[in-house]
Amino acid sequence: MTQFSALQHEADGLSAGLPPLMVEADHLAASVSLGVHGKRRAGIGESFWQFRRYASPDASSAIDWRQSAKSQHIFVREREWEAAQTVWFWRDASANMSFKSGAVTKRARADLLLLALASLLVRGGERVGFTGMEGAPAASRLALTRMGRAMFASGRSALPPLVPFSRGNQLVWFSDFLDEDVFDAMKMLSQRGVEGHLVRIVDPAEEDFPYSGRTRFESPRGGEDEIFGRAERVRASYRTRFTAHGERVAQAAAKLGWTCTVHRTDHAPQASLIALHAAIGGT
Amino acid sequence: MFGFPLSFGTPLILTALLALPVLWWLLRVTPPLPRRTLFPPLRLLRGLQDEEQTPAKTPWWLLLLRLLAAALLILALADPLLGRSPKLMTTGPLVLVVDNGWTGARDWEARQELITDLLRSARGRPVAIIPTAGSVPTGLLNEGEAARITRELKPMPWPGDRAAAAAALGRFNFAAPPALYWLTDGIDDAGSKALRDAFKRYGGVSLFAPTHSPLGLLPVTRDASGFSLTAIRANAGAPQDVEAGALGVRGETLAATRLHFKRGETRAQGHISLPMEVRNATTRLAIAGEESAGAVQLLDRGAAQRSAGIVSENASSEAQPILSDVYYLERALSPYAEIAKGGIGQLLDKRISVLLLADVAKINGADMDRVKDFVSKGGVLIRFAGERTTNGTDDLVPVKLRVGGRYLGSAMAWSAPQHLSPFTATSPFNGLEIPAEVTVTRQVLAEPSAEAQNRTWAQLADGTPLITAQAMGSGWIVMFHTSASPGWSTLPLSGLYVDMLKRLLALSAGTPARELAGLTSLPPVSLLDGFGHAMAPPSDVAPIPAKGFSRVRVSPRHPPGLYGAHEVESALNIVRAEDRLRPLPDSSLQAYGNTHARALEPYLLAAAMALLLLDALISLLLRGFTPRKLRWASAVLLTFVLVVPQARAQGPISEKAALDTHLAYVKTGLADVDSVSQAGLTGLSYMLRARTSYEPPEPLGVDPERDDLSLYPLLYWPMDPRAKTPSPKALSRIADYMRNGGTILFDTRDFTLGAVRGPSSPGEQTLRRLTTALDLPPLEPVPADHVLTKTFYILRDFPGRWSGGKLWVEALPPAPKNGAPPARGGDGVSPVIVGGNDWASAWAVDSNGRFMSTPSPGGELQREMAFRFGINLVMYALTGNYKADVVHAPALLQRLGNERVPQ
Repeated sequence: MTQFSALQHEADGLSAGLPPLMVEADHLAASVSLGVHGKRRAGIGESFWQFRRYASPDASSAIDWRQSAKSQHIFVREREWEAAQTVWFWRDASANMSFKSGAVTKRARADLLLLALASLLVRGGERVGFTGMEGAPAASRLALTRMGRAMFASGRSALPPLVPFSRGNQLVWFSDFLDEDVFDAMKMLSQRGVEGHLVRIVDPAEEDFPYSGRTRFESPRGGEDEIFGRAERVRASYRTRFTAHGERVAQAAAKLGWTCTVHRTDHAPQASLIALHAAIGGT
Repeated sequence: MFGFPLSFGTPLILTALLALPVLWWLLRVTPPLPRRTLFPPLRLLRGLQDEEQTPAKTPWWLLLLRLLAAALLILALADPLLGRSPKLMTTGPLVLVVDNGWTGARDWEARQELITDLLRSARGRPVAIIPTAGSVPTGLLNEGEAARITRELKPMPWPGDRAAAAAALGRFNFAAPPALYWLTDGIDDAGSKALRDAFKRYGGVSLFAPTHSPLGLLPVTRDASGFSLTAIRANAGAPQDVEAGALGVRGETLAATRLHFKRGETRAQGHISLPMEVRNATTRLAIAGEESAGAVQLLDRGAAQRSAGIVSENASSEAQPILSDVYYLERALSPYAEIAKGGIGQLLDKRISVLLLADVAKINGADMDRVKDFVSKGGVLIRFAGERTTNGTDDLVPVKLRVGGRYLGSAMAWSAPQHLSPFTATSPFNGLEIPAEVTVTRQVLAEPSAEAQNRTWAQLADGTPLITAQAMGSGWIVMFHTSASPGWSTLPLSGLYVDMLKRLLALSAGTPARELAGLTSLPPVSLLDGFGHAMAPPSDVAPIPAKGFSRVRVSPRHPPGLYGAHEVESALNIVRAEDRLRPLPDSSLQAYGNTHARALEPYLLAAAMALLLLDALISLLLRGFTPRKLRWASAVLLTFVLVVPQARAQGPISEKAALDTHLAYVKTGLADVDSVSQAGLTGLSYMLRARTSYEPPEPLGVDPERDDLSLYPLLYWPMDPRAKTPSPKALSRIADYMRNGGTILFDTRDFTLGAVRGPSSPGEQTLRRLTTALDLPPLEPVPADHVLTKTFYILRDFPGRWSGGKLWVEALPPAPKNGAPPARGGDGVSPVIVGGNDWASAWAVDSNGRFMSTPSPGGELQREMAFRFGINLVMYALTGNYKADVVHAPALLQRLGNERVPQ
């Protein structure tokens, strides 16, 4: 638990310097206040929206007697329909994510970004949740804690579990997207109406391929390897492939109307957080 | 080989060096093990081809290293030798006759090396090794057998039999004329001629002899004060010193002596003096550094047991024990001997070694012969005079006795009781101290005769014999001319009596313990090996019958050692009293050790292993293995090194203070007061540096609330009414500081106000306020003889900026009335010194070195005095009461001088 607390602390610190996020700013021109985003139509909410003539289906408790006393008619007070966004998170926990060539594993960086983003969103009043966690998404510190627990208990699966996403839910998906089956998973989630945000976590060694000499490459999942007598000779062709793969992921995301951001673990996390925040706020 | 003394045992292996180029090629084509790395996007690497698959990337120097290791390995296996091996003269089999009796134990290793060298030279030839002691092989040996036998060959703890070796040599049939070598011990014996004749039949022989001939230790003789030793050697050449020692049960040296062989002599005498108890703890005597069974003389264990038989005809013994002779004899002897009482015949049956007859005038006829026999076989008969003896005795006395006695100091006698005169040099009692209170009032007198004088061991001051003795056979008859009880003299009441009897006990040979124990056959208990070390007896050593033990000679059947039962063990030694060592009369002897060839194999193997290890390390590094754990360990270590000292020191101030001895003042928290303190101590520091050997660095201000006070010998604490009262924690620190030897100078700084403001000036009030909670010792004004007045300068008063105030120190114990010493300091230093003369102001200098105040009323002279006080004070705090002791030095020296001059 202390590990998580430290991580949460670090994430809080990271997100502190950023302006609060407002999801769906286009829906929210009037209410600049944090957290609650008015839908600008009558509904369930606390802010006054309009008075309207009483009609028969209205409950008598809905009558605003003060307003009614001012005139001949009976008025009902309507409130604005306010709805918070639900943002789901998922982070690839497979052995591939445990790789690091520098100081930070891809998974640790993904965790940090995830919680920082979640912290920001909670401050903005959004409901956040980790796919597969217990309980419903909520907009509270408690939700963050619950997310953290779920993250560290999530096992080693690579793909998000199929929780009952509602249409319009957002999913922020941290992974390295190196496996082929992520594309199918993306399609399936998209069919359920999920708006996805892919965050590709990339280790510098994966991108730059700084190896040379006789090297045996082994899969972190075990079982497979590849030996090169002179690793530096394959550098150029590998880089081409890696870039192509990255573009393929980005294209797949774009086709579904999702966003895709790339984060290198040797870069500062703030820049990526800003980019992510922009990406989520833009939809 | 090319003039360089290097040869190879198996040169054929050197052809393997030809394979080195092949190895080079193999090493070049074998790719090094790949460096391993995890790589998540492995899928993307699938199907990629690097153009080159033969990475001959092993660096040339690593190849060279490996080749060198391989070459060394090959060279090592070829069994290289540095040095020349002896050349064999003939082409026939090699025959070695080795002297491995006890005399061969010396330089045994050199002999074994020579055998190894000879075997190496005779590679391939059959070998015969004939030891003079131990089993003789019947046939010729091949190389391996010979090497094994050489390794197992040991010097034996019995004399070698050269005649037997000659016979064994004669039994061999050699096809070709053999190469004969005789590895002698340099000692001639009866069998040498036979062996020499045997050699002659085969032609010549090469002789080797040790450079140092062996030494032997003859059986030791006990005497009254210890052991007499005699060492023997073979060649009566240059003078030689050897060390011999008496060893205890665990091999510890109890005493040692130096035996000196004079030029041309083969015997050296020595003596080891030991107290009786230590003598009994001695188990063996040995020549130090001579690893040989012949240089060891084992002592019978249990032989030191002596039993004394006491015979008294005095019937009153039971009724009045304090008047009984037996009582005194028993009390004196019981710590040193086993006591038996009874009739003479009874006692002699018990095989006692000392027979004491108290006032027995005449021994009965039947017992007479037995007693004579007992004495002549080494027993000691000690007789005491008494009432009965005055009427004449039998003739078993050292001197003829007069009938009647002699009374001294009685009413009827002219003369006073007599004291003993000092023992003569020939007396066995020589060296015993005679107590002044020992007097003799009655004695029996010896008939004056010439021999009476010679037989006297102790006499009275007037020259009459008191103790006479006569040797008889190998035993002694000793006569005390006074009684065994204090009736006739005070001798039995003194310690001298005990000492005398103890020495007389040592005179007796003691009864052999084996006879006491009643053993009939003595099994081996512990034996000596050829080097004179104790070993457990092997199973083939036969027990020796007790009766003939003294006639048994050391032989392979009976190796030297201890035989008997536990604690009753008799020693069988190699060297007997009549043994002599004679040198071998040959001129063509070669010394051992000149022809030794050194095998290089182990060194080359070690070098090859080291190179291979280095190669392994380099390979690991090249493969990208970084000893991460090592790095962690060093990081942790570095952290410790860097962090721990900082954790210890409490801060920069403490660190600075701990590195040097600083003067220090207590910070009051008031800027003006603290700056004056700082400047004052700075000025004092200048003076100390200029005038004394103490060179203080810049003074420090300390805060008792925070800082560690224990680093400062002296604290200056100015009092100011504005100062805050210290917290209880600080007070306890200050109390600790004073208790543990620190000194605080409290300066109330307001002496001038004292007269005006009454007895309690503001400074004093402050002092009281700050220190009420402290446990201050009783104080007194500095007495004129206090050590503070003398530590560096001689001072009478202690001015500061003001002059005339009283200085208070811890009260000293009052001065002794007669002749007070010139300085008193008490023990340690006074923890508190209180005064009001504002010293810091007098000492204070500014940054340009100018004085900051004017002392009043004395001016610069007073300032000088203030500095002198400061220097005295610092010296007092640093040296404690040392100076108080120094002023006593003349008196002490005078007393020491007086001691030497007899008064």
